Amino acid sequence: MAHDEMIAELAQRKEKALAMGGPEKLAKRKAEGHLNARERLEALLDKDSWIESGLFATSHRPEVRDKTPGDGKIGGFGKVAGRPVAVVSNDFTTMGASSSVVNGKKIRHIREVATRSGMPLIMLGESTGARMPDRMGAEGRAILGQDPIEYLRSRESPWASALLGACYGSSTWYGCLSDFVVMRKGATMAVASGRVTSAAIRQEIDSEELGGWKMHAEHSGLVDAIVDTDEEALLSIKKWLSYLPSHQNEAPPAYDVPEGSQGRGQQILEILPDTPNKVYDVRKIIDLVVDKDSRFELKPRYGKSICTSLARIDGKSVGVVANNPMFKGGAIDVDAMKKATAFIVQCDSFNIPLLFMVDTPGFLIGLEGERRAAPGKIMNWMNALSLVTVPKISLIMRKSYGQAYLNMGGGRNSDEVLAWPTADLGFMAANVGASVLSGVDKDPEKYAKMAKDLSRDTAVWGLAQLYEAHTVIDPRDTRETLIRLFEIHRNRHGSGVGKHRLAVWPTTY
Amino acid sequence: MAQTKVVCEINGSVWKIQIKEGDAVSEDDTLAILESMKMEIPVLAPASGTIGKILVAEGDSVAEGQDLMVINE
Repeated sequence: MAHDEMIAELAQRKEKALAMGGPEKLAKRKAEGHLNARERLEALLDKDSWIESGLFATSHRPEVRDKTPGDGKIGGFGKVAGRPVAVVSNDFTTMGASSSVVNGKKIRHIREVATRSGMPLIMLGESTGARMPDRMGAEGRAILGQDPIEYLRSRESPWASALLGACYGSSTWYGCLSDFVVMRKGATMAVASGRVTSAAIRQEIDSEELGGWKMHAEHSGLVDAIVDTDEEALLSIKKWLSYLPSHQNEAPPAYDVPEGSQGRGQQILEILPDTPNKVYDVRKIIDLVVDKDSRFELKPRYGKSICTSLARIDGKSVGVVANNPMFKGGAIDVDAMKKATAFIVQCDSFNIPLLFMVDTPGFLIGLEGERRAAPGKIMNWMNALSLVTVPKISLIMRKSYGQAYLNMGGGRNSDEVLAWPTADLGFMAANVGASVLSGVDKDPEKYAKMAKDLSRDTAVWGLAQLYEAHTVIDPRDTRETLIRLFEIHRNRHGSGVGKHRLAVWPTTY
Repeated sequence: MAQTKVVCEINGSVWKIQIKEGDAVSEDDTLAILESMKMEIPVLAPASGTIGKILVAEGDSVAEGQDLMVINE
């Protein structure tokens, strides 16, 4: 009898917790076309795989205990494609999923278990920031934000974040600490909301302009993928996870090679222009080299002269860093530098071999680049490249000029340097070099002689003869060559697990 | 009606303009071709819409960050 009562109380408390912020708020959200925090879990996770942690947690403040089911952040563990994951899903209908003493404990537990048990951590973000009044005053300072490793990121396992509404405070911070960030159009991410920012700086600020999808996709570079709906955001996380191991001490999962992946080499020659002044979209060439339909591009609207994609070759994950001549002729600007470095760090941290596909006239030089610290970014990239322990293969397709030759894996910066016969190597264009050496066109005769002298043979054979290109291949044989070479270089650590010397590098640059 | 500016991404000169004011365009259509670093670099539509004012002419020198034309979405 006594048991019945206790069990009935459990059921009743459970029902109350599962009701989140109440039917009215949930209905309003539904009408707006967005999923609620629990529907998001259902859409993300394998059926019946969810086990919750903290269902009965509430605010520690007596006056709001009844209004804070789960204390606004739903935590627990589930599976994606059969692999365990840890998840925090922010419930915006409960006090705007604001950060509190109790839900901070919850996040910490979920995070620690993810790290210890080797699971990806997924944060479904939508939160208003620190809860008022919990956070106010000296007492607030003393009880919130007292976790010294709250913002420590050392990449023991992959982290993914979805930005699915107004993201301020913890959703923003965890977004920026994550390896992969997907944003739904209409969501915003910023340090503080447009309203708070407007009040603080006494200037009308539009939230969309402050932290909308266009801002992050094209300017801040903090977001990797943009989608239209909650469902697409969750699919995007699942897709990203498919390229990643569950933790840093295992190789990424392998898949069957899709039919139609082989024998497409001839099409490369149809896309590659036969004159050096014509451009092309490098993504079309990558698609022919990697397993069919396996390419997943990150930050497609940011730093577009470099294209960074996860993909598979022979069923195994690779990270592709490719110059894209379609944008800025392939000249690498500061955004592209930051994007390349972040991607290299991500791949090396999770045992994903790197493929560099090279066609660049060099770094984009100019006032804007120098003001934005281009030389520092170039050296960050080189330093990262020097610390990489996953296999690296560099393929010189056409131009490889200047310092960028080294950043794209030339010299001894890759395990293998391959080149197509179309490769064009040099330091700078002959006319630019002649201008420098002859004193900026002052003496036409001297200039003409210099230009002629400097137009030395830039064909690939000089590189191959000195064994700086390990081999020159027919573009049509690229895929088969890469399959063999990655197979050989993956052997170095036996299990395909690297040393992760970049694992504590920043998640943003 | 929202307006999107087509901003020049690189210093160079305008070689060809492939659309005229009033034309309907889709995102990623080629609007013009610039010549820069000895290459022909396309200017792609940042959004779908109708071409409004075209602010440059063939042969003009253009700089990174300069507005080239406007698309009315």
